[in-house]
Amino acid sequence: MSAELFAIADTCFLIDWSAWRRRDLLFRLFRVVFVPELILREVQSERTILWLSEGLAAGSLALFTETPDVLELAARVVERSRLLPMRGVDLPEAVCLAAGRLRGYTVLTENRGALAAAELLEELSGVRVWRSLELITEGFKRGLLSGSPAEVFAEYEVETGHRFPRRELEVVLRELGGEA
Amino acid sequence: MEAVVEKWRRLEEEARELRRKEADWKFIEAQPPRLRAALKFYVETGDLYVASRIAGLSVEEFNELRKRARIPNVC
Repeated sequence: MSAELFAIADTCFLIDWSAWRRRDLLFRLFRVVFVPELILREVQSERTILWLSEGLAAGSLALFTETPDVLELAARVVERSRLLPMRGVDLPEAVCLAAGRLRGYTVLTENRGALAAAELLEELSGVRVWRSLELITEGFKRGLLSGSPAEVFAEYEVETGHRFPRRELEVVLRELGGEA
Repeated sequence: MEAVVEKWRRLEEEARELRRKEADWKFIEAQPPRLRAALKFYVETGDLYVASRIAGLSVEEFNELRKRARIPNVC
């Protein structure tokens, strides 16, 4: 199956993902992954900067400069999310969500506020938000990953310090035909 | 709408409990006031960006501190 066209990634996703040995799976799932300027400024470690600069040089990553329409919608998303009775969204994630809405990009994040906002705010209807959980699942479904799904998810947790919600992981493992 | 809000509230509460349970509180309490406050904020909210602003660090620098404090990033 061919790669989808565009995604846009936020900081928490990129710094986790860059620590994983199979991180280039990202570039087999998407033709180009945009990195907003706001987010590039938050990256500090040599490992992450090196991976991002190599990706930018190869064209699998691209810089996303925030345009006035994206910033306007992002500011509205920040405000509206703060009226919800749960964790809100900050500007960097809101920029990704706004680009998802206006440009049709898949939003890559590990931010629960962003996930909740995409589900609850009318301004973001139709935006697709994926975490590493969905990306790795998609990697298996498209035959881009092989081996035991349970072991691959465990490997991701060990190498990135991320934690998948147990119930959701069990559902995914059953779906992939692995042990839950 | 209410059911969706309730679902997210429940997920948030479960994640918060896990962060509280697994955090290295000895490490957190030994940090200077600004970092200690930021780590405690992160335990309660899971909000990496705001926690990094409280700490006066970039998001990636704060994420390294989070790992040293053994606070899981649940998502």
